[in-house]
Amino acid sequence: MYGKGLRPLSIATVVALAASLALVFFYAPLDADQGFIQKIFYLHVPLAITSLVGFVIGGVFAILHLRSGERRWDAWSYVSIHMSVIFGVAVLITGSIWAKASWGHWWVWDEPTLVSFLIVFLMYATYYPFRYAIEDPERQGRYASAFAITAGAFVPLNFIAVRMAQSLVHPRVFATANGGLPGSMMFTFLVCLAATGLLWITLVKLELTAKSASGQLKRLRRALDAPAAGGGSRIAPEVS
Amino acid sequence: MLSLLADTPALPLDEAGKYVAGAYLVFMVLLVVYVAIMATKLQRMERDLRELAGIAEKNGENTSEVASISDSSRPSEVAR
Repeated sequence: MYGKGLRPLSIATVVALAASLALVFFYAPLDADQGFIQKIFYLHVPLAITSLVGFVIGGVFAILHLRSGERRWDAWSYVSIHMSVIFGVAVLITGSIWAKASWGHWWVWDEPTLVSFLIVFLMYATYYPFRYAIEDPERQGRYASAFAITAGAFVPLNFIAVRMAQSLVHPRVFATANGGLPGSMMFTFLVCLAATGLLWITLVKLELTAKSASGQLKRLRRALDAPAAGGGSRIAPEVS
Repeated sequence: MLSLLADTPALPLDEAGKYVAGAYLVFMVLLVVYVAIMATKLQRMERDLRELAGIAEKNGENTSEVASISDSSRPSEVAR
């Protein structure tokens, strides 16, 4: 059920990623101020946007779960958050690399963009132990959904707070009326954003398909009354 | 392709290039690690499925054996 359309989606993702890499290195001009270092922007910013949007999407699925009581929405919420946390790791590492190259430091504590993203990331890092601490699957799903909604609402607030911050150390490339980017750079950025978004969707679907297959295997095992070999995850919700 | 490469801005692999390569490498490594984890999960599922198919086949054989025993015992019961 979850695997439907996964193949064309995977192909589209590979094509989009290849196109975005080609555009970044062979089409987009070198930045007059930062030079070659600016190429990290095409990776780091789409990853950050996708990660933050993914957290909000996880919250939306959690709302659907609490409204309907269907466990599949809990699974969607869990996998969305899980994937966004992985993307978040990439955001923090690529951001640090850019900071080192540009500012000479791996991390700057007085920069609101960095610190606020770290807070969001650490908040979602607590999602796993929070979920893991609850044994009853029904209660686990409900509590995890409540967490996902609360944390998901915090993400846009965090974004607004960063925008309102006075520091100008972190580059504001979309801050001006014209967007601050020339056409070729903007086009490259949008393709990169689309490719990263497609990658997120593909990986979420892939993860859900794997979880669904694993859940069906478990049910088959129970039906055959066979002892479990590996034992499933207590954290991840079972998907039908 | 060669003309495209000739027209594009140079890829400076100096100090800046090292960092850019590092950032893209981190992304690729994360992706490869994720795919490797998924591949391991898939292998485990395949193994479980094979095992379950074996159990199901064995159960099927037992059921047919029971069925054939009960079938063969019926006429004698009737005769009795």
